[in-house]
Parts: sequence; structure tokens; C-alpha cells
Amino acid sequence: MSTAVEVRQLSYRYPQNGRLALDELSFSVAEDECIGVLGPNGAGKSTLLLHLNGLLPEHAPAAPNLWIAGEPILSRNLDLIRQRVGLLFQDPDDQLISATVFEDVAFGPRQLGVEGAILKSLVAHCLAQVGLSGFEERQPHRLSHGEKRRVCLAGVLACKPSVLVLDEPTSDLDPRGRREFKALLQSLPGAKIIATHDLELVVDLCSRVLVLDDGKLVAEGPTVKLLSNEPLMLAHGLEKPHSLLHRHPHGPIAGEPENGGTDI
Amino acid sequence: MQPPDTESRRRRLHRASPRLKLLVTLLFIIPTALLPRHPDLLYLIPAGILILVWPFTRMPLSHALRRLWVVEVFILGIALLALVSPEAVPIFFATLFKSNLCVFAMLLLTWTTPFQDILQELRRWRFPSVMLTTLALMYRYLPVLREESRRMSRARASRTFRRRRLAAWQDLSLIIGQLFVRSADRAERIYLAMCARGWK
Repeated sequence: MSTAVEVRQLSYRYPQNGRLALDELSFSVAEDECIGVLGPNGAGKSTLLLHLNGLLPEHAPAAPNLWIAGEPILSRNLDLIRQRVGLLFQDPDDQLISATVFEDVAFGPRQLGVEGAILKSLVAHCLAQVGLSGFEERQPHRLSHGEKRRVCLAGVLACKPSVLVLDEPTSDLDPRGRREFKALLQSLPGAKIIATHDLELVVDLCSRVLVLDDGKLVAEGPTVKLLSNEPLMLAHGLEKPHSLLHRHPHGPIAGEPENGGTDI
Repeated sequence: MQPPDTESRRRRLHRASPRLKLLVTLLFIIPTALLPRHPDLLYLIPAGILILVWPFTRMPLSHALRRLWVVEVFILGIALLALVSPEAVPIFFATLFKSNLCVFAMLLLTWTTPFQDILQELRRWRFPSVMLTTLALMYRYLPVLREESRRMSRARASRTFRRRRLAAWQDLSLIIGQLFVRSADRAERIYLAMCARGWK
């Protein structure tokens, strides 16, 4: 399986206060793999996601340390990278900038030169994909939080990315909205990187997990194995998810020990 | 219930081409702005036109008054500047009348035409894109800012136990200050989100 995202020795220091936000991170994500990025607040999760889209650092370095489908992130190919990596922001109101849903979903494709009937059918297709057919003329500020989030996702999908990067995709959603959004994410192909505090979502969607703390990659491994390691979880401001707290009546599932995970 | 002919006329007005409506509004505003500096009977012509058109738009009076009330502060500010000129009083009233007539015409336009249609028309007329983007973002984010200030006011009110006028003003200034800071942060995030989708 080829690599969708490759990160090697990635470090980043905030220019405002000189704080080290990312400290020599290295990992890779395969095509069609879904990974979770966990960690306490301020661990560097959002900063990492901004790097994956080329939004940080402010000036791309001469020697790249991020590759998207083999393509290094450099200042000369940022347009291509931003088309390949779809980034969903935490607050939908930051992402929904247009007066109508149609205009907003069309925002990305228009940057890529798509216009006319093709644009209309692309927008209709993406809205259908997120279950919002017929919402074209609706105004974003009149939508519910869950609907706003779906429109944001439609806007990202309209650029046909190969990697989806999601920052807290289920925060502020009610249980039904969360369940529906989870099913929607499950139905989407391609590599997915999800930064979240929603550990149940990670258990359901992600095959592998990265744990960040203070800018460092402190653990990496299969989801159930890593999230079952309660001391590790507690040491990094996390906790063992509720679904893993209850023992299986027939003992642990084969190949998934109750405690474990690769401590880095 | 309205007679069917009035209803169909109203619908026709809402469905009419945004270009035509924008053009007619501009053709109304420019001569109104060029009326003599001393209020006279000529002022009745634009006022009469507005009174005639208004029923067909079916814009509620409360809608007009609420918006005029907000704009009135700015209109009064400009009109007050006229008081320093030699013919202070007539110019003050002329500015007041003209501005209100023009704003009312714009209210009728925005009541019968979706804002994005007006923007699209202005785009066709090759208005500067920076100005149109600013207008579009302002229209999009005004409800967000309103909601944010409402939340802050509520949170503040929940911890206010004694009503004092001075404290209320201080609170208001704090909320406005916070709103500026949060808006700046949000603007930064919006810019990043736009860049993430290929904006240059």
C-alpha cells in the first residue's frame, strides 16, 4: 500500500513566543488508512494539522519534511497540496464564508477553475454525499451546527482531496448529529487524519492512533491496544474509553491485549 | 388577505431582475442626493415615489423603522456636521431628509432582492472585488458577531447582581473590546480556512 502522508522530523516553533509546538515528529499514513491524533489541549494537534495543508510554517522550508502522496510540501506546490489535502476546521463558522450554501461549496472548485454546469453538478453531488441535497440556496447562519459541519465537509470534498484532515469533527454535535457524522466519515474513501478528544469516535473509526503531548509524539500504535493502556492514557491527559472499560464476557479479543501500546 | 392582483404584483417585484431594481434605485438616489440644499416642495417628489412603491413591496413598517433607527445615528452625525456651515439649519434638515429618503430606497431594494443577487450584479458591473468580498464577509459574519455579543452579554448579566448605570456602560465597553479581539482571532482563522481551499 502506498503512503498518503509522510512526516519526517517535523518541528515548529511559534514565532510570537518562541514556544516549541512540534518537536521532531515522524510518522506516516497509508492510503485508505484512518488515524486518530490524540493529546491534551495545547499538545500541538491543531498545529500539526495546519502543517499538513501547508498553512504552517509561514514560509515553507528549503528542505521539506512533509510529503503528500510522495509530493513534498514546498512553497511552489502549495496549490496542489491544498487541493490534495482537505482540511475541516473545528468551528464551522470559520469555514462557512459565503451567503449561501451553494456559494460556499463552490468556493474551492472555483479556485481550481471549475465553473458553469460542471460546478453546479459538482456542488449537488457533494451536498448529496453529505445528505444535504436541496440545501443550495439556504443561508449558512440559519443552519444547525450539524448541518453547518456537513456543509463544511461538502466544501472540502468538492476539491476532491485524497487526504481528509479533520480537527475536532464531532465537538458541539448532539448525539444524533455525532452518530450521523461518524457514519458519514466512515463512508468516505481515502486517508483520514482525525484530531479529537472524542475517544469513542477514535475507537469506531481509526485503526491507528498517535498520542501527542507537549509537541512530542509520545505513543503510536493500534487503536484498541493503545487506548486500553490506562496508565499511558492518564499520563497524557486522556482516559480509557468507556467502550473499552467493559471486559468482553469471553476475555480479551484475540490479538488485542488489555494493556499495551508502543510507548515512544 | 391581500387581493390577488396586489399579491401577484408584489411577487413580480420580488422576481424582477436584480439589475433593473439596482439601476432604478440608483436612478432614484442620485437625483435625490442632488436636490437643492434648502428643503422645498421638490422633496415631495422622491417621498411620493417611495410612498407609492412601498405598498407593492409589502415591507413591514417595523422592519423599516428598526433599520432606520440604526442608521439614524450615522445620519444625525453627518447632519450635525452641517451645523458648522453658514446656512446651518436648512442644510441640516436637507441632509436629514435626503439621507433618510436614500436609505429608505435601499431598504426597499434589500427587502425585494436577496443580498447575494445585489453583490452578483455589482460584480457584473465590475465593482472592485476587494470591496465586494468585504461586503460579502460582513453580511455573512454579522449574525455570528451578533450571536457572540449576545452570549457575552448573557454571561455578563448572569454575574451582575446589582444594576448600576455606570457599570452597565463599563460592561458594554468590555464586551465591545472583547468582540474586537475575538473578531481579529476569527478573521485569522477564516483566512486560514480560505487558504486551505485554495484562496490566493
